[in-house]
Amino acid sequence: MTPSASIAEKSASEMNPGLATGERVRSGAKPPFLGFGLGLRPQHYNDILDGDPPIDWFEVISENYMIPGGKPLQMLERIRERYPVVMHGVSLSIASTAAPDYEYLTGLRDLARRVEPKWVSDHLCWTGVHGKNLHDLMPIPYTRESLDHVVDRVQLVQDFLGREIVLENVSTYVQFANPEMTEWEFLTELSRRSGCWLLFDVNNVYVSAFNHGYDPYTFLEGIPRDRVVQFHMAGHTHMETHIVDTHDHPVCDEVWDLYAAALKRFGAVSTIIERDDHIPPLDELLVEVQKLRDIAAEVLPESGEARQMERGS
Amino acid sequence: MSDFQRLQDEFQRCIVSGDDSVLDKILDSPKEKRDVLFGVYRFAYSSRLVEALSNDHPFLHTYLGDEMFDEMGKAYVVAKPSHHPNLRWFSQGIPEFLRANKPYSDHPEIYELADLEKALNDVFDATDGDVLAIEEVAAVPPDSWNDLRFHPHSTARRFDLTSNAAAIWIALKNEETPPDAEVSGEPSRILVWRQDNTPMFRELTAEEGMMWDEAAAGIPFGVLCSMLATYDDPDSAAGRGAGYLRGWIESGLLSGISIGS
Repeated sequence: MTPSASIAEKSASEMNPGLATGERVRSGAKPPFLGFGLGLRPQHYNDILDGDPPIDWFEVISENYMIPGGKPLQMLERIRERYPVVMHGVSLSIASTAAPDYEYLTGLRDLARRVEPKWVSDHLCWTGVHGKNLHDLMPIPYTRESLDHVVDRVQLVQDFLGREIVLENVSTYVQFANPEMTEWEFLTELSRRSGCWLLFDVNNVYVSAFNHGYDPYTFLEGIPRDRVVQFHMAGHTHMETHIVDTHDHPVCDEVWDLYAAALKRFGAVSTIIERDDHIPPLDELLVEVQKLRDIAAEVLPESGEARQMERGS
Repeated sequence: MSDFQRLQDEFQRCIVSGDDSVLDKILDSPKEKRDVLFGVYRFAYSSRLVEALSNDHPFLHTYLGDEMFDEMGKAYVVAKPSHHPNLRWFSQGIPEFLRANKPYSDHPEIYELADLEKALNDVFDATDGDVLAIEEVAAVPPDSWNDLRFHPHSTARRFDLTSNAAAIWIALKNEETPPDAEVSGEPSRILVWRQDNTPMFRELTAEEGMMWDEAAAGIPFGVLCSMLATYDDPDSAAGRGAGYLRGWIESGLLSGISIGS
């Protein structure tokens, strides 16, 4: 592995001086701690709006609302009146070598103007080339070449959106031959060079570590303390020799343990429970949201932030 | 072309086409062979897209059954790979695909069931539009009624079906055994729209279908009534026209009115 310090530095603006088209309102200020939340799913619209569930904030899937009109946008409007909202996309394809998709970026920017999310996130991955969309989060090789490419692309997107973006580590099933750095070194350099923030998906770290035979705690220790603004917690499907990131189960004990360790390293970080399939009733997910709170209160007893977010206190 | 670009090209080609050349570029894990690990992506690609088709066409899925729907879905994934970043639009070509490919093309009720489901999906998140209030129509002076024109709601879609796909849809919706497929000489006139956030459809009679089509084309109420007079009892034509109009307004099918040309 090449030490990350030796990676050549070249900012995107140096490489693409003509690409800075956005509003340049980027602040560099770290997004706020929002507490303990949930991925918003249509099955729960009524329970959320009719009740007052103890959820501090919601993460919404951007593409679900990049549509002309109708019920989804109305529901989102009502939710955002009551809760902080973060936009989380699946199709930014930030690591794609295809030309940037300005139609998509315009749709994303328009939605962000309407929703005013606390931040906009997506995944460190690519989802297709040559005009095709695979609708899956594809892995990248951890090389200097790919890092340079992604840094440029992040700068371009940040300029277009007029804000820093947040990128998430994905679950991967394959590793490419001849890597030049580890995934955590790649994320660290990407964040440092592009200014993007990191969404630390605790489950994905666990899944990728198992699949590739490294220690998830080494990954954790390799991520800088000051660049992580969000955690994801989710479940997966174990296939004995590998784990598939299905997001259709409750969070497992090993991932809860890793969450506790992540809190120790990063402090109070906005966290959600993310369930994408076999979506249970809201009450069932609230149990997991409460567990996020309880563990944070235990691990960070001195953190006023974590305690403040406990409802009713 | 950069190494990174070449790798993405090859990775994608191997997922979509079943070629294994990219296995040279990836590693076995401590516990599993690379072909099994790469297979996770290959399986996920096709299964996720077929699942998206099923979400958009639940009754087509029920009508065809799991095996045939899966076969159809996989063939669609090959023939019409997704070109839009939003999975929402992936199923848009299903009715056309069914019309163009055997055995589905021999069964109008199959592709027309897909037409109906697609129209309902499309009105679900179509652009919002004004809804005409009955008071606005009540305020029109009697001597202006002949010149009154009607504007359909922004979500409204009108089309004809040749089969009894609508009856099949209703039976499947009610979890009943669908009727045998039939093709009739008389088209089934379908109107699909969104009312209070809910996608709706109705079958129109020949007379109401004629009046809707002409009204949507900008024909004023006075002329519409003359047309109705040729369909049935001329003396009650204006009353029938007013009845259809009331139904449309109550269902949120109109966005507005205007007087004059």
